Amino acid sequence: MPAEAVPSRLSPLVLLIDPVRMLPSLLLPLAGVLFVGGFSPSSFGWAAVAVVGSVAYSVLRWATFTYQIVGDRLELTRSLVSRSVRTIPLERVRGVDVTTPPLHRLLGLAVLRIDTAAHGSADKQEGELDGVTLAEAERLRTLLLRPSRVRAAQTPDAAPGTARQMPPHGPLDAPDATPATAGTTPPTLPPGDAAALTGAGEPAVRQVAPETVYLRVPRKWLTFGPLSGAYLFTPFALVAGAVGVLFQWAEQFGVSGRTALSIGEWLWHRPYLLVAAALLLIAAMPFLGVLMYSVLNWDFTLRARDGYLVAERGLVNRRSVSLERRRVRGYEIVEALAERWAGVARVWAIVSGLGDSQNRGQLLPVVPRAAALDVTREAVGELTAPLRTHPPSARKRRLFRAIAPWLALAALGAVPALTTGVGVWWVLPVLALLLALAGVPLGLDRYRSLGHTYDGTRLSVRSGSLRRSQAVVERRAVVGWTFRQTWFQRRVALMTVIAGVGAGVGGYEAIDVSEADGPAFAAEVTPDWLSPFTIPHPAAHSPTDPPTT
Amino acid sequence: MSVPLRDPVNRVSRRAITLWLLEALFGFALLVGGSMLAAVWIDGSGWSWVPGWLSDNVWWLPVAVGVLMAPFVVIEPFWRYAVHRWELSSDVVYARSGWISREWVFVPVSRIQTVDKAQGWFERLLGLATVEIRTASYAGSSTIKGLDYTVAARLSESLAHRAEELRDDAT
Repeated sequence: MPAEAVPSRLSPLVLLIDPVRMLPSLLLPLAGVLFVGGFSPSSFGWAAVAVVGSVAYSVLRWATFTYQIVGDRLELTRSLVSRSVRTIPLERVRGVDVTTPPLHRLLGLAVLRIDTAAHGSADKQEGELDGVTLAEAERLRTLLLRPSRVRAAQTPDAAPGTARQMPPHGPLDAPDATPATAGTTPPTLPPGDAAALTGAGEPAVRQVAPETVYLRVPRKWLTFGPLSGAYLFTPFALVAGAVGVLFQWAEQFGVSGRTALSIGEWLWHRPYLLVAAALLLIAAMPFLGVLMYSVLNWDFTLRARDGYLVAERGLVNRRSVSLERRRVRGYEIVEALAERWAGVARVWAIVSGLGDSQNRGQLLPVVPRAAALDVTREAVGELTAPLRTHPPSARKRRLFRAIAPWLALAALGAVPALTTGVGVWWVLPVLALLLALAGVPLGLDRYRSLGHTYDGTRLSVRSGSLRRSQAVVERRAVVGWTFRQTWFQRRVALMTVIAGVGAGVGGYEAIDVSEADGPAFAAEVTPDWLSPFTIPHPAAHSPTDPPTT
Repeated sequence: MSVPLRDPVNRVSRRAITLWLLEALFGFALLVGGSMLAAVWIDGSGWSWVPGWLSDNVWWLPVAVGVLMAPFVVIEPFWRYAVHRWELSSDVVYARSGWISREWVFVPVSRIQTVDKAQGWFERLLGLATVEIRTASYAGSSTIKGLDYTVAARLSESLAHRAEELRDDAT
């Protein structure tokens, strides 16, 4: 492990960023000082003192913060008043994010974030280096991500299917163990992770990283962005934000609530203005949606480097997330209704021990489904079995659940309408009835979405209609099973099978499997765990089920 | 039951019935008390939008809640006692729980991360304990309630010991 003798500092250029960043928080107090002082010379003097003080403070902060790689750990030392040292064992480093916010980019700097999440978020500890040069960021990333790669590479037996016989990882997965003994117990590689094998036996030699670009998302695919739904609300979010800021500033400058109220009243008496504004906002939805999506997902690139999957994206704030391939256990492919209609999908990686996986685990933004499947096949692995359908009673149950609550609400809403005889009361039951009607296609589609399968290495479950999601998880990631049967399910011989997975959201559900197939499915994936407890059943497994798409 | 899984071998302690009865009574008291409060509130408010037939008969609400729920206070503990079972064999913890809805959990000892033994107020009173078995996933984690204290101690001890031997962090 290369050790550095001298502790390093952040780039001094960061001092140019600090005042700008502090500006908004300084502005108001400064204005206050000037106002209170009546713009007298002494008030300017005090304001100057405040500015100089804050600059001096950032210089001091910069001068007293150092980082250093000592042996097998990274030490972040801050000795401003008291000396505090944060030690991050390199074995614990799960990923390194490099982001370049606009100001940083102007100065050629980057923010390096080190993710060391162990199990869940409980003992999550992160390190941040805000303001290193791009070259330094690259050097640190290689250095920080190197150890696990080298350790991984030293394992000769990368045979697939050895999950249950694997040697323990030791401290990697035991939060309470001391990191000093790390590296003596080499973890095993997932099948097909040949990229991590490069550099075996010569850890000291720095190699040219073998890099594969899986996908660089073409610009014209950016127009798919709003199909996911969330981005469509960009105009409203912007307006809400603007109103919030306006109110805040108005208060600061002594504009009373009465003025705001009278403005509102003035608008209320001119409804055509409100309607026009609403129409404008609605018309702007797709455009602003595409714009917002493009800013966040500009030039999305997914590549493999040094046993890591690196996803890079962003126009203004360029962000790069590295996911350790050894820890990737599968993927989740998600389609909203409009996305399904357009044939596009989004993909998340299922990674063990990854904090904030919703943001960090994204493998692909909105791309055509075929491309998504191609890339995940190469980058993660392929599911080779078709999904099995669920029994017809599951369809009845989906329909019931999509319709019955709205019918009940309609019935409930009809009570005041009938008793009072006031027409307005009918709005609620009619709306509920319409929703109940919409529940028919929704329930049918939810049933069509249901599916589960196992292909010998990976299991998969799918559900959902408005947001359909299919998870594909490696068998070795399964840590247990839960079967659940409500009273309603029991009456129609159905059950929900939940595969407990030590990655991603923790559990993946096969909803409404027939009660014979449920245990059989689990036994198919992990026979050793289930077979002592299952009763052989004549119809325990039905391979004749027609496959769904 | 037609789910093709055999019953786990061990029942929980008989005193668990008392535990569930106490808990059910506690829940029952809360529910009836809550509906009484609601009745007092509606009765005293004099809101115009509350229909007359409702505000006149609002005191039937806690009575109805009480009458409807009372049978369950007695049924639930015995039903639970019939369902709740557990077993440790072939290095897999197999537990069944629930009453109206049921849940079966399979946790292989090799994937266990922590084993906790916990005792609540009532449990302490009755000499019972709960064994909480955790893995890296909520869906692979099991909680066995209502065990005799010595049984729970023995189980958690042996599980922790065996998990140490088999430790396998493939996740």
